[in-house]
Amino acid sequence: MKARILDSVDVLKIVDLLSEQGYEVVAPFHREGQDSYFDVVTPANRHAVRIHLPNPLYPPKRFIFPHIERLMTFRQVNGDLQIQATHEEPRRAIFGIRSCDLAGIGHLDRYFLGREFRDTYYEKRRRHALLINVVCSDPQRDVGDDCFCVCADTGPAAREHFDLQLMDLGRGEFMAVAGSPAGQALFQSPIFRKAKPAHVERRRAILAEVRKRFKTHTSWFSAAVRYLSQDKVTERTWEEIGNRCMECGGCTYVCPACTCFTVSDRPIGDGQTERVRIWDSCALAGFTRMAGGFNPRRAVHDRRNRRFFRKLAHYFVQRELSMACVGCGRCVTVCHGNIGMPSVVEMLRRTTAGVQEHEPAIR
Amino acid sequence: MNPPSAENIYLPRVAVLDRVEDNIPDVKTFYWRFENPADQRAFRGFHPGQFVQVTIAGVGEFPASLPPSPTEDQIFFTIRQVGGCTAALHRLRPGDKIAVRGPYGNGFPMEQYQGKNLVFVAGGIGLIPLRSCIVYAIAHRSNYGRIAIFHGAKTPKELMYRDVLAACQQTPGVECHLTVDRGDNGWEGNVGVVSSLFKKPGVAMPVENTVAFVCGPPVMFRFVIRDLLAMGLTERDIISTLERYMKCGVGKCGHCCIGVAYICVDGPVFTYEQIKRLGEDI
Repeated sequence: MKARILDSVDVLKIVDLLSEQGYEVVAPFHREGQDSYFDVVTPANRHAVRIHLPNPLYPPKRFIFPHIERLMTFRQVNGDLQIQATHEEPRRAIFGIRSCDLAGIGHLDRYFLGREFRDTYYEKRRRHALLINVVCSDPQRDVGDDCFCVCADTGPAAREHFDLQLMDLGRGEFMAVAGSPAGQALFQSPIFRKAKPAHVERRRAILAEVRKRFKTHTSWFSAAVRYLSQDKVTERTWEEIGNRCMECGGCTYVCPACTCFTVSDRPIGDGQTERVRIWDSCALAGFTRMAGGFNPRRAVHDRRNRRFFRKLAHYFVQRELSMACVGCGRCVTVCHGNIGMPSVVEMLRRTTAGVQEHEPAIR
Repeated sequence: MNPPSAENIYLPRVAVLDRVEDNIPDVKTFYWRFENPADQRAFRGFHPGQFVQVTIAGVGEFPASLPPSPTEDQIFFTIRQVGGCTAALHRLRPGDKIAVRGPYGNGFPMEQYQGKNLVFVAGGIGLIPLRSCIVYAIAHRSNYGRIAIFHGAKTPKELMYRDVLAACQQTPGVECHLTVDRGDNGWEGNVGVVSSLFKKPGVAMPVENTVAFVCGPPVMFRFVIRDLLAMGLTERDIISTLERYMKCGVGKCGHCCIGVAYICVDGPVFTYEQIKRLGEDI
């Protein structure tokens, strides 16, 4: 992959370049503390776009798979039924997307566009999306307490799915790596210059240092995937996990790799109705309740079991070529019961492996 | 990325209700056809056991099994009124418009079962999805061995598709047995659960080289499976169709995912061997 160097002061010129090319650019902004968010860049807020900041809690997934998305409208006129599909095909660039969120989009690509049915709406939003990845290179400002991409092998520097990757090398320089022809085309701008071997060496040194600065590095997925796939996790463990779930659905709404949605029809006036899809959550009791009231998943621990099984079971990993967890740590941040992914992985490992029973007995 | 797909997988096609027929209390059959003849032709290739997503404009969409066999001329579905969408459908009249997309799901492997005896066990409206296989098997009578149909319902007036079953009984090598939980004044047939029919005098239930299609309420399912296994059928010889809350029908919305299967695309038809591995209530 081709690399170039640019000055730190020129980094936001990439945003301008994209705007000039007709992209609607979304980028991260920072208020204070942990309060950060993605928003559309305008001339008024362009100066406030940040490179180093806490990764926003509401993931940029929504720019490709919106929280609420209209699918079609229905109109009934004189006994006729007219159905109009409503597509949006925005030319949009996500600037500053972190490696974990990028891996989430990679997962969504394989899920929504894989198997025999390709999701029409996802496909149209994804087609013209340009992804400008920013590597988390500053342990203070970029890496949060709950981040664990090092365990999910998705970060801190993504290896795929980006069009352009930016990384702060310090000393007033950034490295840009092209991941696609569209990304490489940006190198025509005079802000980029050739990289030297020393730059690659600096990149390697910074990443090696950042990897050591993660606070969560013991989310040992391999054990969890193995025990789950072999059906070795006891009912009791699931009950313990289920007992800590408040059924708020927060983990699913902040997850960059969650895909479930419900579909709802609602009136929009003028005798018309629209069909929308809305993110749904397997944490909620109604998720599997059928008309007539029968619910095959009754207890909350059934539903927690479901979430983690779906994310980690070997069968799905094989089918989608990745776990449905990217190690962003958002579920850890939002969970009142402390059953974010790393805790669950640890609970599965400890209880299933029977850690206590296997301790050597000294007699 | 792959080239764009031409078809919108969520977009239903407009269809017209031709005829509405009352079956049993709360259950009606809706005969329909696509407004566009090309859609109608494309739809003809469905398999027994597949399902469709039905839109009632302004209300919503729900999955419905396809009771007709592809060997029949008319397309219809039989729907019990249970929720908002199905209640809205029940209010519709001939000439009203609905929208349909599909067919979806794997369907029953009828061709794979050629040369085998077929047993159908249906409780209540569990007969709706099995109707397709029954009519299909009778239409291809020479491809199958003996056929035995067992149908049970709570009361005589809740027995489904009486006309179809009566016609089956006239076919050589096909037997059909009915039972109810509670008889009424005119009922002279069997009273008891559906599996009580298997060993009754006069019932010749095939066991060797046999596949059993089972569909009905969970409690019936459990007992029928137990009896079939005791009679010597293997878990692979028992096949059923599952239902789950479903929003998309195409393996995307996530609601029907149990175990490692999405009921809508990996099912809805599974052998009992597969169902056991899914690890959830039927």
